[in-house]
Amino acid sequence: MTATMTKTTCPYCGVGCGVNVTVPSSGSDSEHDKTLDLKNIPPVSGDTDHPANFGRLCVKGSSLAQTLHSDDRLLTPVVNGDVVSWESAVDTVSEKIAQVVKDHGPDAFAFYLSGQILTEDYYVANKLAKGFIGTANVDTNSRLCMASAVVGYKRAFGSDTVPCNYEDLELCNLLIMVGSNAAWTHPILYQRIVEAKKQRPNMKVVVIDPRETATCDIADLHLAIRPGSDAAVFSFLLKHSVDAGVLNNTFISRHTNGFKETLHQANESCSSLAFVADFCGVSEEALLTLATWWCDTPKTVTFYSQGVNQSSSGVDKCNAIINCHLATGRIGKEGAGPFSITGQPNAMGGREVGGLANQLAAHMDFATPGAQELVQRFWQAPNMATENGLKAVDMFQAMEEGKVKVVWIMSTNPMVSLPDTAQVRRALEKCELVIVSDCKAHTDTTAMADVLFPATGWSEKNGTVTNSERRISRQRGLLPPPGEAKHDWWAICEVAKRLGYRSAFSYQNVHEIFAEHAALSEFENNGKRDFDIGHFSGISQQDYDALTPVQWPVPKGRPQGTKRMFEKGRFFTPDRRAKFIPIIPSLPVYQATSEWPFTFNTGRVRDQWHTMTRTGDAASLTKHTDQPYVEIHPKDAKRLNIVDQSLVHVQSESGEALLKAKISRGVSPGNVFAPIHWTKQFSNAAVVSNLIPQVVDPLSGQPESKHAQVRLEAVTDASYGIVISTQPLESLDFTYWCRVPSDYGYRYEVVWPAGESVASIRSLFSTSPSSKEEWLEYTNPKTQQIRLAQIADQKLISVVYLHSKPVSISCDWLESKLVGNECLSDSDRMAILVGLPANVEDKGAIVCSCFQVGSKQIEKAVASGAHSVEQLGASLKCGTNCGSCLPELKNFIPIKTEVSA
Amino acid sequence: MIVGAGMAGSKLAHDLLERQRNSQQAHMDYVITLIGEETQVGYNRIMLSSLLAQDISDAEMPLVDTDKMQKGGVHIISGDLVVSMDLESKVVSLSSGQSVAYDKLIMATGSRARVLPIDGAQAANVMGFRTWHDVDVMTSLKEKQPVCVIGGGLLGLEAAVGLVKRGHDVTVFHRSDWLLNRQLDKESAELLLNRLKGMGIQFRLGESPSAFIQSDDQLVTHVVCENGEHMAASLVIMAAGITPEITLAKAAGLQTNQAIVVDEKMQTSHADVFALGECCEFEAQTFGLVAPIWTQINVLIDGLNNQQARFSIEPTPTKLKVSGVNLFSVGRIEPIEGDECIFFKDIGANHYRKLVVNDGLLVGAILYGNVADGSWYFQLIQNKTDISDMLELLVFGEAYCRPQVA
Repeated sequence: MTATMTKTTCPYCGVGCGVNVTVPSSGSDSEHDKTLDLKNIPPVSGDTDHPANFGRLCVKGSSLAQTLHSDDRLLTPVVNGDVVSWESAVDTVSEKIAQVVKDHGPDAFAFYLSGQILTEDYYVANKLAKGFIGTANVDTNSRLCMASAVVGYKRAFGSDTVPCNYEDLELCNLLIMVGSNAAWTHPILYQRIVEAKKQRPNMKVVVIDPRETATCDIADLHLAIRPGSDAAVFSFLLKHSVDAGVLNNTFISRHTNGFKETLHQANESCSSLAFVADFCGVSEEALLTLATWWCDTPKTVTFYSQGVNQSSSGVDKCNAIINCHLATGRIGKEGAGPFSITGQPNAMGGREVGGLANQLAAHMDFATPGAQELVQRFWQAPNMATENGLKAVDMFQAMEEGKVKVVWIMSTNPMVSLPDTAQVRRALEKCELVIVSDCKAHTDTTAMADVLFPATGWSEKNGTVTNSERRISRQRGLLPPPGEAKHDWWAICEVAKRLGYRSAFSYQNVHEIFAEHAALSEFENNGKRDFDIGHFSGISQQDYDALTPVQWPVPKGRPQGTKRMFEKGRFFTPDRRAKFIPIIPSLPVYQATSEWPFTFNTGRVRDQWHTMTRTGDAASLTKHTDQPYVEIHPKDAKRLNIVDQSLVHVQSESGEALLKAKISRGVSPGNVFAPIHWTKQFSNAAVVSNLIPQVVDPLSGQPESKHAQVRLEAVTDASYGIVISTQPLESLDFTYWCRVPSDYGYRYEVVWPAGESVASIRSLFSTSPSSKEEWLEYTNPKTQQIRLAQIADQKLISVVYLHSKPVSISCDWLESKLVGNECLSDSDRMAILVGLPANVEDKGAIVCSCFQVGSKQIEKAVASGAHSVEQLGASLKCGTNCGSCLPELKNFIPIKTEVSA
Repeated sequence: MIVGAGMAGSKLAHDLLERQRNSQQAHMDYVITLIGEETQVGYNRIMLSSLLAQDISDAEMPLVDTDKMQKGGVHIISGDLVVSMDLESKVVSLSSGQSVAYDKLIMATGSRARVLPIDGAQAANVMGFRTWHDVDVMTSLKEKQPVCVIGGGLLGLEAAVGLVKRGHDVTVFHRSDWLLNRQLDKESAELLLNRLKGMGIQFRLGESPSAFIQSDDQLVTHVVCENGEHMAASLVIMAAGITPEITLAKAAGLQTNQAIVVDEKMQTSHADVFALGECCEFEAQTFGLVAPIWTQINVLIDGLNNQQARFSIEPTPTKLKVSGVNLFSVGRIEPIEGDECIFFKDIGANHYRKLVVNDGLLVGAILYGNVADGSWYFQLIQNKTDISDMLELLVFGEAYCRPQVA
């Protein structure tokens, strides 16, 4: 069998790592063989040539091969529940768009796109809406991720320009990480930072985050600030820079405007150290330490992410950060700059195309003088939109109001990701035609669709993405599209053609779109606009296919691209000067009340990404965290009688959720945290956006997704269990359930009301009259346990464990018993009700996903003398691949005094 | 003098001799007389079931080496019956006419099959299952005869299995609703029932025969069932319990109740008379299993040698000696107030476990099918091991619990 190695780009976070995938060529064309091949693709490896990762890969990336096969692919177009041809589906869609545009105007149509589609998909969607249908209602889930960072950059620089390069993270002497748990969300950048700090122990890392996260593992200083108070820290740094005499007055006078007013505001808002310390809820000493390091360290990078952006004052926070860098001239230099890190693989590509409602195209806005006319001319567009469209939250509100009548959602899951999902549901119910393009058949959003378009997925798509350091890389198709799945750009062009715009959308190949995108970027640019990739305006298919990663701008004559921006202090404002923005720090809109006493924060877990539509296919990625949880400080938990892993009812004014308690000192008293990943496909009530009110930043429209006020209540009428079955359960009539992806069969973590009996549990399962069925049973009133197993024809069909208290049971062995052809031995039959054969080691909870090393194994290794993470790695291999578990591994090592004592 | 040469008597004589041999003490100078009514002395009564089932041969029957004992000085009188005892003059009279004097007398008269008060129960073809002779009678039965066993306890079932293996048509009457009702609960008994039915034994549960029909030669020909049905029977085995043999003791004036009352030194109401085995009664309990009787022998010997020893009642596990049928039962198997039961049931694989726990202690266990953990549970009960930390996996056996204990 021959095999082909292809270089492509990882589909997950904004780091944009290069990956090598080796696809064995199929010996036969039959469907059966293709499926087998997909399940047997060797693990992907990091691309050593890619400047984002130089061969490294995180655990999510390392597990990509496991996600190539999905049992839930959307394989055909569907209209109102019926499978139809593409032709028919395209007809339905274009007729409806034409009708609503004719009857209600172009703004009755909207695109809701995604930072996961490729630049070329984005480009044609943006072109169709803004130039041909005539609406700027093109928004995207990137609104939820980095819209505030975009507006922050634009206010300061006159353009949406990320100044830095990943190298700067390694070259700086002080790295301030704000609102980022990069150890889990951007693991490769984090690993690069860890490595740099190891090489240069004098390099300092400061983490500013209300939570103590895994990222704090390398922090020299952690400021656990009051949620949302970030801007005050930076206003204080600005003020302190003046006092310490570290301003770069030359830079300020030559290259900026507005310093005086901005400093004045900082003095006003942050009058004293004591005030700021109190406002941020940190010690004066810690603030002063940060201020001293800041003043002493010209090579400082401020690295910020969702914790800054997802806020009602997100833009101001960004500008508070940028102000500090401008005032000290720490921008456009090696190892210095304000560095926004995006969460999605191609949020940046979307920004470049202009695929946001408050952008026009190619880094031009509606307000940019002459831009509308320029773009119209370039596109030969018949119906140019003339003003900003609706940003995400506004778009769904307009939908509920009946103003937007047709929405085309592409590659995203707003039923999970937008705040106040109850509102999103009402909006989609009200909308006359909901079109969803997705590669998955079942998501919370496809459930709301009138029309489903089967889309190609990561392993089939072909095009470009841009990472957080402006680096354009190729995603390359590795596998043939399954069923009738088509590329998103193709579907958009088909609808465009049916709407009558044949000539403008008759691309034969994806490289033609990229070339046109490049041509627009250089069209009448002459250095006026930052985004210029004119070098590629005439790119051939051959060159496109061979494209190596490059950082824009890539104007004609500079094929090597641009490592760092603003090196000469020239910005993209009309007067080419950067702008200081006066900032009044403010806290989140909703604050604690006696009715809603807990401040609710959201984020991510290490091994999942977004709404689990891809990572949820890799069973190994569920080992680190298998269920949705709410992290609660032990003091609060004690007061509320909540024990670890028990079920908690979380309520806010907008909704509710059922989550498992994780008791931890990582959150401060009065604060709780929950990850965002679990959808209704995986759990009955774990969509945490439910709890988030639709509060947005007034400038960026980015929701305050990391903030809600909630109350918590222990669910007392509960018994805890697991169900493992060869078949999905027909009825999910539990208080709580969570389907945990598994390599074999189906596994559910469940909570029942207390007092279930053997008979009532058995009734969950259908009995097949044709086979010889038996039940194994274990009942223990002492521990209030019931465990049952259903066996038919000597094969295990299902297992149910029920306990009065939450317990962790490692299910790997049990799940493995669901498959296989040999009959169960007598000892296996008994072991099935234990969960393990008597002679097999219980690994404990998996800590290292790459090598599947569990907590009990690590504890044992430590007990037998492993006293460093390195020694653990040498004996168990844990932490030696992607390294994302290293912070956790460290927690297993007793501190030195304990060892020597 | 030991009256009764069954297992208890024979083993006592043997052990006493051994102890004397190994002892340096001068006063341990016994002259041992062992008197038995059976012609065979010193055989292992427990193995009669296996002998009947042809799982073993005659050669495997001895419990002790009587030749060696006789050479060692033990005076064995077999096939002779003690007819009276004079405790004052310390002499016993035998049916053969001889009288034998003693210093210390030990009653080991055992028990006899309980005979139900049914007319005809005295017939020649209605018998117990107690002796080697009983086995000889059963084995001499003609082929494929209808046999009725009364009593579905350990002995009755072992007899039934032995007889069915010899090709007879066996029907077991059992008064209780389930077999081995003193050793098993209903669900495990069901497994056993199915297994024994599979061997060809027929059962009438919750039923005792109401009468026997006898032929002119006084032999029972039919058993009358409760519904009036007449069931042919060439042989009737009475296995509905045992009655301690205390006729002699009573006549001699020893204190008796159900059996001969003894204290913790196995001493009867008479200072020089002791009793052990199935004929004795301690704290209102009688004994049918071998384990406590072996303890009684040790206690008795120690006492005779002026060593401190006290007998006390311990739970004793029971097993059914039927090859291919594994069951184990020990302690309190029906919960009383404050007890709780942990179950493991794999009916499909004929595997059943029930543990009765009270507070932090295991107090009873039934194992059916896989009895490998029986001795471990027995230890936990005997040692009163605190099982609080093992509750979760206890029913799955020692292999699962050992790491937690360590």
